[in-house]
Amino acid sequence: MKVGFYTRLAWSNLRKNRRLYLPSILTGAGMNAVFYIILTLAADERLGDVKGGQYLTDLMPLGTMVVGLLSFILVLYTNSFIIKQRKREFGLYHILGMEKRHVGHILFWETAISGVMAVAAGLLGGILLYKLCVLIICRILKVDSILGIYYVSLSTVAPAGIYFLGLYLITCVINRVSIARMKPIEMLQSPNTGEKEPKTKVLMLLVGVLTLTAGYGISIATKQPLQALTLFFLAVVLVIIGTYCLFVSGSIAVLKLLKGRHRFYYQKNHMIAVSGMLYRMKQNAAGLASISIMATMVLVMMSSTVSLYAGIEDTLESRYTHQVYLNAGYYVGDDYQKIPHDQLFDMMEQTAEEQNLTITYHGEQRYLGCAFGYENGEMLLQRTNEFTPDVVQCFFMTQEDYESLTGEQLNLNGKEIAIHSLPSNQRRSVDGFKLKENEFTCTRQLDSFPISMEEYSIVDCFGIVLSGEEEFQNIEQLQREAYGDHASEVMEQLVVDFSDRKAMENHYEDYFDALRDKIHLVAEADEHSNGGFGMSVNCYWDTKEYIYGLLGTLFFLGLILSFAFLFATALVIYYKQISEGYEDRNRFQIMRKVGMSEDETKDAIHTQIMLVFFLPLIVAAVHTAFALPILIRLMRVLLQSNVLLFLGCSAASFAVFALIYLVIYRMTAHTYYHIVS
Amino acid sequence: MTLLEVKGLKKIYTTRFGGNQVQALSNVNFSVEEGEYVAIMGESGSGKTTLLNMLAALDRPTSGQILLDGKELSSIGEKELAVFRRENLGFVFQEFNLLDTFSIKDNIFLPLVLSGTPVAEMERRLAPIARRLGLDQLLRKFPYEISGGQKQRVAVARALITNPKLILADEPTGALDSKSTDDLLRVFRDINAQGQTILMVTHSTRAASHANRILFIKDGEVYHQIYRGARTNEQLYQKISDTLTMLATGGEQA
Repeated sequence: MKVGFYTRLAWSNLRKNRRLYLPSILTGAGMNAVFYIILTLAADERLGDVKGGQYLTDLMPLGTMVVGLLSFILVLYTNSFIIKQRKREFGLYHILGMEKRHVGHILFWETAISGVMAVAAGLLGGILLYKLCVLIICRILKVDSILGIYYVSLSTVAPAGIYFLGLYLITCVINRVSIARMKPIEMLQSPNTGEKEPKTKVLMLLVGVLTLTAGYGISIATKQPLQALTLFFLAVVLVIIGTYCLFVSGSIAVLKLLKGRHRFYYQKNHMIAVSGMLYRMKQNAAGLASISIMATMVLVMMSSTVSLYAGIEDTLESRYTHQVYLNAGYYVGDDYQKIPHDQLFDMMEQTAEEQNLTITYHGEQRYLGCAFGYENGEMLLQRTNEFTPDVVQCFFMTQEDYESLTGEQLNLNGKEIAIHSLPSNQRRSVDGFKLKENEFTCTRQLDSFPISMEEYSIVDCFGIVLSGEEEFQNIEQLQREAYGDHASEVMEQLVVDFSDRKAMENHYEDYFDALRDKIHLVAEADEHSNGGFGMSVNCYWDTKEYIYGLLGTLFFLGLILSFAFLFATALVIYYKQISEGYEDRNRFQIMRKVGMSEDETKDAIHTQIMLVFFLPLIVAAVHTAFALPILIRLMRVLLQSNVLLFLGCSAASFAVFALIYLVIYRMTAHTYYHIVS
Repeated sequence: MTLLEVKGLKKIYTTRFGGNQVQALSNVNFSVEEGEYVAIMGESGSGKTTLLNMLAALDRPTSGQILLDGKELSSIGEKELAVFRRENLGFVFQEFNLLDTFSIKDNIFLPLVLSGTPVAEMERRLAPIARRLGLDQLLRKFPYEISGGQKQRVAVARALITNPKLILADEPTGALDSKSTDDLLRVFRDINAQGQTILMVTHSTRAASHANRILFIKDGEVYHQIYRGARTNEQLYQKISDTLTMLATGGEQA
């Protein structure tokens, strides 16, 4: 027999089994397209030059790994599913006189043709969609769109294509082996005859309840963002174990309980749905659990990346009460000589004038930021490298500086202090504290503090106003003695606002370049200087660019991975429905014969599909709801502390997800009806 | 009293492509009295299955009438048809058609559950039937755990539990060994003796020899019929066998 014969047979088989093959080819193509796009985004040098674009190069390889792994699993899963469904057909070929190797040939060509189709369609789709993705990224990063000719890079087309062709080659080998191992009689026998009704596994049920409770408990009980970071993955693992255990044993326990309640059970839809689900739970529990977990992952990924991105403006507002924080100096020998703030400000004004800019505010900020151990109201001068819940971060400032920055009179004397405690702190109010022999008493709680402390909010942060320079120097001295080389420096910064924050966005780099030149001149003008000079600028616009680049890229990665996981979820659901459809067809035919009308059959089918379909969605919603507390704390580590915004984004993500899920449901339910009736 | 009356029944199938017409039944007339046990015999392709499908209201005749207890089947709307079948007809099939997801008890309950019967009433009806058919010990088991003969008895119980006017059996012994066949036929005799009307379509001379009357169908018509009269099963068996030979060789009507 010639190759042409096998290819023709393979082609007609693909067409006959398109209900099985089409989704598999589409999935392969979809994953291949996503894979190509992510690879290309990381390699596209045009994007690397865009503001914030460098994060694409850093973060996209992570996405490549996830999508690559997911593709690997999906391609193997769809293949094994198809082989299982077609066993009888292969058995028939056998009876008709084909040898195993002939069946192997046919299967090889089927896999090869569908693989090449998937890769070709995927690469083409990827190349076409790439431009759209670039446009989306430019929007997300808030930069001008790069338009122009289609960007096709052979250096990414080749690896994407080769990787996927490799996957299909692996399935070819697997199929070859599994065909060789099959026995013709087994192939012909119809699957799942005489399945036993499953037994309730009490131990597993117990493990499931315990792990799930523990996972949920961790999420609710963890108050410290830093603990949240370490415990999050433990909670994830616990919940995954719990989900699998509960689906496998819990579902059976619940169904048996329902079955025991005769009044409920002996109603037509209940009876058919409950016994049908009980019967198939054994084989389907793991599938349903996987769908639930994938759905939860999509939800968590979507809500956190969306809210991080949506909260950027918020984060910037809370961190930048003013636009520019700056100091500058030069080296005289080994000593760093600060340029006095008056002089620095004169240079800034001069530069502003040259560039037609207006400075609307300027002030001075002087503070000491310092970490302590904390125990029973006592600040301990012990330096640890780790952030533990026992560490607190304090920002000290004199009464005088506080008044000049805020205009508020505090009238503190001696060891009296005023404290601002961050809303995210665990210890919300502090009456005072002890530091060595000094006992400070708090006479006033402050609602706000001129220095932004949010950056440190993974530990408790306190803004502390001291009565005067004497106390300030005292504390500075104490921490210098205790911490030695690691001691904190007193921060002295010039604080400046420009009139038009928006307009400065495009000018600020020119402005600070010009300022730097002036500082250079000052450094050179001093005959003692060795020519080295420095300028430290912490400004709103620079951070904005960085934060949009980082969180925007994360957001895009979240989107594209959510898309990939949705695709995977849809595929698993679709195949599950199809295989169940073939199993259920016989059952519903019998019920028709025994006296069930068409409408009643449809009703019963509907009830059953709904249960199987929406159970994972409900489980995912519950998982996500219980994940919210720990996610809110994790968000704080990532500088997003707007809880309402996060909840809103989670709700929106769920709505979008549920909508897409509903569409998948409609499509698969349609196929299911078609098979059953 | 006449329970079932079939008058001038005709069924023509039109093939899906090409419009070729195939006549399955040309003109079938017969009636069944209440309490009768009737077997319908005929070769493959004689129209037995078509007839049964129409009696079961699964298919509609091209022309002619079927009256069950005086009610014309074709006058029943599509919606009420399922209910009508459930309440008036009981079915026994060759392949048992038990649902492997249901226990034996639930399989028997299925038609009652579909009709929305209260649990207490279902249990009340089940007890005597299960005893009569020897199913008491099997109720909690599942179809894959019992033998073919037991499965068919379960199917009979499922047919009986609705107290149907007529039981339609389609080759009920077709998938059974000889001992199970004897068992089942004894069950049919039993329930018939208690007044249950049975109409059975079969290939098997032995099965037919248990009936009170045998109708022979050939080329879409009732060709011949035999009454048991005073014959024993063995004598009836011989008579049927002779008739079949005659039908097959094309002899004159006896």
